[in-house]
Amino acid sequence: MGKSRVRNNIRKLRFFHDEMTQQQLAEKVGVTRQTIIAMEQEKYSPSLELAFRIALVFEVPLEEVFSYDAQAKSK
Amino acid sequence: MSYQEKTIAVSLVNYLLILGFYLIRVFQMIQGGGFNSTNVFRLWGIVIVLAIVVTILATILTHTVSGIIHAAKTKEKTTIKDIQDERDRLIDLRGTKIAYFASSIGVFLSMLTFALGQRSLIMFSMLIFFGVVAQIFGNISRLYLYRRGF
Repeated sequence: MGKSRVRNNIRKLRFFHDEMTQQQLAEKVGVTRQTIIAMEQEKYSPSLELAFRIALVFEVPLEEVFSYDAQAKSK
Repeated sequence: MSYQEKTIAVSLVNYLLILGFYLIRVFQMIQGGGFNSTNVFRLWGIVIVLAIVVTILATILTHTVSGIIHAAKTKEKTTIKDIQDERDRLIDLRGTKIAYFASSIGVFLSMLTFALGQRSLIMFSMLIFFGVVAQIFGNISRLYLYRRGF
């Protein structure tokens, strides 16, 4: 448990998309707000499908939303 | 606390109450000399029916109360988010796995008492006890995963 090795820029991307709320993003990608919160806190690594859906909402490539930190401590 | 967490918390309280009721009844039977197959199997039936009925009623109540609170807070038309997304399903699966594991250990211990020469009634009493305890473990682990992160 704890921090995931998958890093993300969801909070920053939300800010640059008219300060989109967590609830708005959650509704657009079809998950609960709690899941968005868990992802932003890097406590949950989304499935590949959800990751693509989030990237599509922000209209950026997947790598701009998510990155993998191999040096980080494992779960 | 999300809707899913509230439902799990209510379920946890239900199972704790059912476990308390079961233990009190068993001790009453042992002390009163009524620890026989008729009483034990009647208690089995009561516990299983209670677990089903109370869980259904508690889920409906949680849904209704959450809806009222949500409507009172936001002044919006109530739309309870009872969808299960991928994270909810993963947490549910993990909780079920832990509950099955606890249940398996319980069944093993119950059978062990029988194998070691105890009465079959002891084994059956332990089976239902560990069944309820397994559900409690499952719910605690689900709540833990929601709080700690998954």
